[in-house]
Amino acid sequence: MTALAARPDSERAEQDPRDPQLRLEQLLDEGSVAPLHPRDASGVYAVRGRIDGAKVIVYCSDATKKGGALGSEGCGHIVEAIDTAVRERCPVIGVWHSGGARIPEGVESLDGMGQMFAAMIRASGKVPQISVVVGPAAGGAAYGPALTDLVIMAPDGRVFVTGPDVVRSVTGEEIDQEGLGGTEAHGSKSGVVHVVARDEPDAYVRARHLTGMLAQPGLFDLASVQTGSDLRMLLPETARRAYDVKPVIRGILDTDEFGTADFEELQARWAPNMVTGLGRLGGRTVGVLANNPLRKGGCLDSLSAEKAARFVRMCDSFGVPLLVMVDVPGYLPGVGQEWGGVVRRGAKLLHAFGEASVPRVTLVLRKSYGGAYIAMNARSLGATTVFTWPEAEVAVMGAKAAVGVIHRKTLAATPEEEREALQDKLAEEHQKVAGGVDRAQSIGVVDEVIEPKETRRRVAEALAAAPAGRGHHGNIPL
Amino acid sequence: MAEEIRAEMVANVLTVDVSDGQQVDDGESLFVLESMKMEIPVLVEAGGRVSRIAVNEGDVVQEGDLLAVVE
Repeated sequence: MTALAARPDSERAEQDPRDPQLRLEQLLDEGSVAPLHPRDASGVYAVRGRIDGAKVIVYCSDATKKGGALGSEGCGHIVEAIDTAVRERCPVIGVWHSGGARIPEGVESLDGMGQMFAAMIRASGKVPQISVVVGPAAGGAAYGPALTDLVIMAPDGRVFVTGPDVVRSVTGEEIDQEGLGGTEAHGSKSGVVHVVARDEPDAYVRARHLTGMLAQPGLFDLASVQTGSDLRMLLPETARRAYDVKPVIRGILDTDEFGTADFEELQARWAPNMVTGLGRLGGRTVGVLANNPLRKGGCLDSLSAEKAARFVRMCDSFGVPLLVMVDVPGYLPGVGQEWGGVVRRGAKLLHAFGEASVPRVTLVLRKSYGGAYIAMNARSLGATTVFTWPEAEVAVMGAKAAVGVIHRKTLAATPEEEREALQDKLAEEHQKVAGGVDRAQSIGVVDEVIEPKETRRRVAEALAAAPAGRGHHGNIPL
Repeated sequence: MAEEIRAEMVANVLTVDVSDGQQVDDGESLFVLESMKMEIPVLVEAGGRVSRIAVNEGDVVQEGDLLAVVE
């Protein structure tokens, strides 16, 4: 139970809802809030506390003081909080409600903000940094949450560098604060926010959940993964048909007593053709990445590659093992993609997997083609174990398309009415030598074909058997 | 509130599964698009009444093209 829940309603109602004490009591365990410094007029209040018993450090905007605007003193509290968390090796959470820099302080406040950013960057990859944006985080304050690992936003959260008035005067665009930097803008369009909360209390619940997964990752309990459901039922009958991969993810992860999977999806509405999120498998926190065929056919593209790359690097920073679920027709073709940097951003994903030290198991559900095959944690990039389901295909491209390229001249010389039949026949032969999983298995890039209902157990065993690793790098917000 | 359903990628409209004015539930399929040799259903997020269908079977749609409006 959180501290706030333990207090009578009458007491809660009297307080300004922006009071940092009230906000901290919603985030932290009952009776665990202990100040790091006395309350002052700096616009920041930093404390020690616990989440499900695990130690955390929290700095919280004090929006009752100049709207939470940040000056050198407030920034100093945040620097101290972050450095303390690094020293004590515990997560650090920022609760944001700040109008930006304290303008009367001039360049001193800018210097303070710069020092705050430097502290966040020093801590990056060492301890989890989580931001909960419950009000405005404008101007320089926008980059505070943006430099952290995970950003949770409540409906009143507003993040932007320049506000609507400045935007209007410079570009003539008419937009309000919510449209410019609210949950829709950052949840769906920019990708700044990882979790959009229903309301402010929900934002604290989600922050507690994510913090718990990183602060108390647990150990694999293989006895708890011995039974699994037949996940094959979740795939369509025809291979061409797209489907939603999320029920498959939930079918592999742990569920609570009500059957709800322990899965917190990140950036759910941004680049949704790639699903990323944290969950538990056999009690251990794992990171899950999955192509989602329902969106853009599950193609990799510029944004989804970048989304995945950042997630891989975050998990690697904190030693969270990865499950990579593959059903990918390839990279999305298009001028927009090429000019939008699919090469540059796709390279980030290759780099992220190639450098990762955490155990990472790949599971091919139906198909893995071409360049996307490599990018989705192929053996060549260092996958711990590569599983496929029966009937999965691992190839440069689909067999029919492949013979269209290989036998282009033969097909062109064939009368049109016979061409289709010939291509099908050639595809079948090609499938035997080049496309099937047999070939991939014989050269050692696929370890084993596993049954869908065994998946939960086999993935957990493979992750548990690998030596625990952790990358030694920061988590640059790619 | 009206929700505009737009194409996420270049595709052929394989089937139109609803008619103008029809009530649809969350998760119901409005269209099946064909792209990257796959059949991709377009599902409605929040149910309501289909107030406009902007494409026909056989049309080619570009990324961002309006497919339908659900109110």
